[in-house]
Amino acid sequence: MSNATNSSIAEKQPRVRFSPQRVWTLAMATVTQLVRMKILAFLVVFCLLAVGAGFAFSVINPEQQLNLLKSVTLGALQIFSIVIGVVSTALLLPKDMEDRTLYTILSKPVPRFDYLLGKLLGVLLLIGGGLIVMDAVLSLILWLRESMVFEDVVTRMRLEKMDTPEAVAQVREIVARQGLTWNLHWAVWAIFLKAAVVTTVSLLLSCIASSTLFTIIMTFCITIIGHGHALIREFFFQPHLSSAASRVAALLLAAICPDLAQFDIVDSVVNGEIVPWAAVYDITGIAALYVTVYLFVTHLLFVEKEL
Amino acid sequence: MKRELQAIAVLLVFGVAKLPLEQHLTQDLRKQKMLEEPLQLGVGENMGQMGLAASLGGLRGLAASMFQLRAHLEFTHVNWAKVDSLYKLVTRLQPRNVRYWEEASWHMAYNAASHYLYHQELKPALRGQLYHDHVKRGIAILEEGLKFLPDNPRLWQKLAEIQWHRSKDFKQAGDAYWNSFQHGGLNFTERFAGFAYAQSNDPESWRKGYAILKRLYDANKSTPGLVEFLKLLEQNLHVPTEQRIPDTAPVRKGPEPQAGPQR
Repeated sequence: MSNATNSSIAEKQPRVRFSPQRVWTLAMATVTQLVRMKILAFLVVFCLLAVGAGFAFSVINPEQQLNLLKSVTLGALQIFSIVIGVVSTALLLPKDMEDRTLYTILSKPVPRFDYLLGKLLGVLLLIGGGLIVMDAVLSLILWLRESMVFEDVVTRMRLEKMDTPEAVAQVREIVARQGLTWNLHWAVWAIFLKAAVVTTVSLLLSCIASSTLFTIIMTFCITIIGHGHALIREFFFQPHLSSAASRVAALLLAAICPDLAQFDIVDSVVNGEIVPWAAVYDITGIAALYVTVYLFVTHLLFVEKEL
Repeated sequence: MKRELQAIAVLLVFGVAKLPLEQHLTQDLRKQKMLEEPLQLGVGENMGQMGLAASLGGLRGLAASMFQLRAHLEFTHVNWAKVDSLYKLVTRLQPRNVRYWEEASWHMAYNAASHYLYHQELKPALRGQLYHDHVKRGIAILEEGLKFLPDNPRLWQKLAEIQWHRSKDFKQAGDAYWNSFQHGGLNFTERFAGFAYAQSNDPESWRKGYAILKRLYDANKSTPGLVEFLKLLEQNLHVPTEQRIPDTAPVRKGPEPQAGPQR
């Protein structure tokens, strides 16, 4: 009798629909919350690093100077995005529970999915915003260094009487390849996509984790395994390489972890390769797929979680 | 509980279903030169490479740059063994970066080799031996680099320069210059291929050199050096007088400087 009454009450309650505006409000609240945690101090460190890498190592050859500037700063961007993604996501749920904010939000007609999506979007907005600022700083320094390096090499060639038009054209081509191009921004986009996937995995884990530390450690483990995904797949797809037990273990690991090495186009960009549109579509598509499925799994875990 | 089981099921089904997609995508990105091709170095070595990639994540470029700076520091300390081992690591981390191969070979074939050649405290025989060992090491580095970048004209050019100036192996130098030109190298590499072939002691190479230099001469791309080597080849190949070029060979002012002991 009591069950029947409860179900009839549930049926009578108006179904709360997904609201993008509500998600946006939650996302902005998350951004504010994270900014108050002084997470963006990393930006200052990054700017100092970029200036240092750009102007400090004048002893090595000019082409290598541009190469070094790109690899150091893009490496810092990767560290920034993944660390911020993992740590802030791992902190959000426990902090909301500790502050009782979570109960205040969920006692209102806010579906849990909206809450999760808002939190994820907030973290991604923060990472995206940070990456845009750092990309702008990097682009500016690279643009300045590019012209300086070209002038420097041509002057040296002139002194050594090696400044034939063909040789100067070759230097111009090399410096232009290593300098500021659209490829640099695609590398930053790939970094963002990787961070988005890792952040979603972190959100998933924070729904089942008993502590923040567990979430952080497990997400970093999955991130490392994710970079060796091709190796694990190799074990699975080539039976002669391993025993049946190893193959089952490889299958489980490969199934659980995303392949994060797919987003590592940074090395190719640093080496001056041109990023084709097809590659951009491919990595964007696979990242969207990972984020969608992991978010759906997170929702399944969170929807009935006792808070 | 029901939802948790659903979540596990979705995760596993998606996980298995995504494997062929990931495999396909990785191959696509490798074809587009966005990701590193697995090296054809045997399973053990491949696993080592991929393990290294996995442990460093996407930070291989950064690690390579740091090791390169350390190698530069060791270069200033004249510690050649350390320079070589650090560059080995750098080129393993970034095998598609031409600059690293170039620098690694330059340190060995020029800096280290010359250091030992002019080292007053060593016995002359040992100096020659160490000179040749380091030149060979420089060549080996470039040859390894060419396994990864077989179409790179700069690496072929650098190999040619070492073969010419350090090993005095003109046949190999000619082949390397010619490969550089074939892969889009600078125009002078074609001419230099001819010059190198002309200086070898192999009649087949002379014929190659003559064909290259005669073509350039006929295309009005003649230089004093080209005329000199063409004359030399005409003489070596016993070209009939009526087919010889009308120019007279320019007179050399002095012998070409020799680098390192001859073997």
